Amino acid sequence: MPMQTNKRYDVVVVGAGNGGLSAACYLATEGMKVLVLEKHNLPGGCATSFRRGKYEFEATLHEMCQMGDGKEGRPKGAVRTLLEDRYKLDVEWVPIHESFASVATNEGGFNVSMPVGVQAFIDEMEKAVPGSRESMTTVMELARMLVDGVDWLAKHNNEPSPPAKVEMLLKYYDLMRVVPVPCDEMLDRIGVPEKAKHIFESYWTFIASDSTEMSFAVYAFMTYVYLTQHPWIAKQRSHEITLAFDARIRQLGGDIWYNTEVKKIDVRGGAVHGVVLADGTYIACDRVISNLMPHVVFDRMVDHSEIPERDLKAMNARKMAQAAFTVYLGLDASAEEIGLKNYDTFMRYSPNNHEQWLSSGSIDTHKDITVTCLNAAIPDAAGEGRAFLQFSKFYDGDAFEDVTEEAYFKIKDRIARECVERYEEVTGCNIQSHIQEIVVASPMTWARYLGTPRGNVYGYYPRTWDGMFPRVQSGHHEDYTIKGLRFVGGHGTQMDGYSQAYLSGSEQARYMLLDMKEGK
Amino acid sequence: MAKYNYDKSKLKGLTPFPFLGEVKTRTKHIEAADTTLPKSVYNPNILAAKLHPHVQFTKIAKVIDHGDAKSFVFVPDESKGTKSLAYFRAGQYVSLALDMDGVTANKPYSLCSSPKDALGDENTSYTLTVKHGKGAQGGEYILSHFEVGTEVLMSGPLGNFYYQDLRDAGHVVALAGGSGITPFFSMAGAIADGIEDFDLTILYGSRTHDSILLKDELDAVAARSNGRVKVVHVLSDEAVEGYEHGFITADIIRKYAGSDDSVFVCGPKAMYDFLRGEIAKLGLPERRVRFELSGEFGDPAQDERYPAEACGKEFTVTVWIRGEKTTVPCRADQSLLRAMESAGIRVPSDCRSGECGWCHSRLIAGRVFVPESADGRRMADKKFGWIHPCNTYALSDVELEVFPLI
Repeated sequence: MPMQTNKRYDVVVVGAGNGGLSAACYLATEGMKVLVLEKHNLPGGCATSFRRGKYEFEATLHEMCQMGDGKEGRPKGAVRTLLEDRYKLDVEWVPIHESFASVATNEGGFNVSMPVGVQAFIDEMEKAVPGSRESMTTVMELARMLVDGVDWLAKHNNEPSPPAKVEMLLKYYDLMRVVPVPCDEMLDRIGVPEKAKHIFESYWTFIASDSTEMSFAVYAFMTYVYLTQHPWIAKQRSHEITLAFDARIRQLGGDIWYNTEVKKIDVRGGAVHGVVLADGTYIACDRVISNLMPHVVFDRMVDHSEIPERDLKAMNARKMAQAAFTVYLGLDASAEEIGLKNYDTFMRYSPNNHEQWLSSGSIDTHKDITVTCLNAAIPDAAGEGRAFLQFSKFYDGDAFEDVTEEAYFKIKDRIARECVERYEEVTGCNIQSHIQEIVVASPMTWARYLGTPRGNVYGYYPRTWDGMFPRVQSGHHEDYTIKGLRFVGGHGTQMDGYSQAYLSGSEQARYMLLDMKEGK
Repeated sequence: MAKYNYDKSKLKGLTPFPFLGEVKTRTKHIEAADTTLPKSVYNPNILAAKLHPHVQFTKIAKVIDHGDAKSFVFVPDESKGTKSLAYFRAGQYVSLALDMDGVTANKPYSLCSSPKDALGDENTSYTLTVKHGKGAQGGEYILSHFEVGTEVLMSGPLGNFYYQDLRDAGHVVALAGGSGITPFFSMAGAIADGIEDFDLTILYGSRTHDSILLKDELDAVAARSNGRVKVVHVLSDEAVEGYEHGFITADIIRKYAGSDDSVFVCGPKAMYDFLRGEIAKLGLPERRVRFELSGEFGDPAQDERYPAEACGKEFTVTVWIRGEKTTVPCRADQSLLRAMESAGIRVPSDCRSGECGWCHSRLIAGRVFVPESADGRRMADKKFGWIHPCNTYALSDVELEVFPLI
């Protein structure tokens, strides 16, 4: 006998990932009665931690952007303002005092450790690539203009009114000229030397985009903000952020149910009427925020006859982003003893970002790794005499399509071994005789916990026509196709990453409030 | 001086029009695509569902009586929708959902069979071996109630007590006591079947020669392992020619384990307490020693930090489940999980050792005690008042929210 809950909610949020939690919190701060439904037993989606013995591993958070605290010369960031001032989350934030390290071992390669601070970054680049100073200064000045422009746009909620558009034309004419240009193309225009270009673009793997298609504006904005505001993480892993959201949403009158899978979103006549839980319980509501991506919602949770044509076409037009593979090591010696140095290190063979991208489509060719050592940010993160080391890889396309059940554990272990051996070979550090705990998460693991197609962790690949700027501009009206249904998360308008998912959550929640007011 | 110090000529030829037309351009790209429904399920999704089912419907196909233990062979219950049992790593466990005359409980048991028996889509099976023992509420129930045809609901394979070649030595010395042999029996089978690639020496503690559980079966696996699995019986209550005599001590372990071998331990709690002392004498690095989960903590008063004034008290636990509340009584020496189970509430739980976190629940009000040695919570759980009820004890009336799986 299907049950019916008596309580009436203004909005049901499906999925308690970063986007869902942010949307729920935003709506709750505006007095909405929200119910968050999460199929897993923990909130967070990607944003979580897990324990093995004495080690509490961070699952996914590398660093958060736009988190400047307004102290020691660091401007206050938009995401900090959102999480602290609007949401009032109880989280201890920790800054990271470096930018990134980048290593490429093939011919034309490099081994650099880039600092934070714009001038320091330019200086270090000049050391690594003599003659790069002038062009890098231009890059940074353009980036500074873009940061101001994005701030200006944010103040206008990314939808400047007609008079404001005139102001924009006057003040940010160059932003408009620059935004549609891909990263490689813009750096070539500016005359950045080849090697400096590759070093500068090292971070591309975290943007889910190849440097030939990645938006220069988005990448330069992010880099500049990291350099000026520093990258930040949570002291008690991302689980702290997630539970802070949980606590805050409840404090504001919201409910959150875990182990509660939504099987169906009841869409009829182009509008949302409710959600159906795995046990058949029907919860009536006419507003749903989905933290699950459109591919999942439309294929599995909505009557196929109700899928709007634009969404069918959009799913086919867009390309799914990469799947993740991660190796977590708990080491039984301190970072100093082992010789672990940087927080984030991009460790590649080819120095060429496009070549790196091309090799990422199969298990046999993808040999590049991203390495994170949490101790570089939080020295005692693992306790005395212990350290963390994490390897991440992002696979494009169907790299794991042929993996069988029988071969599965062996392939996981083989890739993990490759990561460790490669790191040892490049750094000369001895890792293997210090491994006390090891956990390996494959695209299958991410598919298990997130339910995303292929274990995708980045949503939709930001093609030039489908990058952040075009998405944000389509996020209020064009992509709102079913009355009462809005999407948030790493697949959303603001693209992937923690900060971006929090922003898309607040943005779509705000639009939903407007929808309610306007009866849309 | 210009506000931004960049050379404008670098932007030559760029106009704002592409930016102003971005929405239109995006719509144009979308409009050009076709209207078929793309799939959302790929091989990683299929394999994830196969390897990590939340529940598996099984029935018992065979029961083997060993005297003071029984082995049960489980096969998928296709009528309930389980087509094949999930493949696993030798050493993992499953948690059986029991309903013992109104008392619910999820009880973890190591898979005893080789992963090979669970591989593929057809004729998959698991074998679990359950031994009579003191105070093992679930075990006695299983031994007296499970028979051929019994339908059993179980979790997917769980746990981290398995061999990992990057971390563990090529030679593992297993210390097993009583039914603690089961994960090692599975590992031995996996080695013999070519699934695992390491050498395994099992030091197996039993009371007497005739009470050795699975002795013939172990001999048979060792015989087909190409010399990679060795079994050494250690008898505590009698001296028999060709067998070690006494407890598994540091001296005996030293006879079989080199200074850089791995030591894996599985057995009853009393054995863990003893072996921790013995293993410490070997001077092995911590990473070379792995203990399987120790099971329920039991009486919290055994922890020296437990406040004595709570002993013997009984409290009321208010349990919230999706907006509905019930109250259940809870003795001070009973975990919150047990109190809820005794009242017939099926709360998520798997390892019952405080580690896996499946019972992660929100403490709303009240004071509780969590033994430090069994506290597997994350840092933020403590900060925001989350608990694992399987090893949390009430010190006052308590209010909590739990999340049974639907």
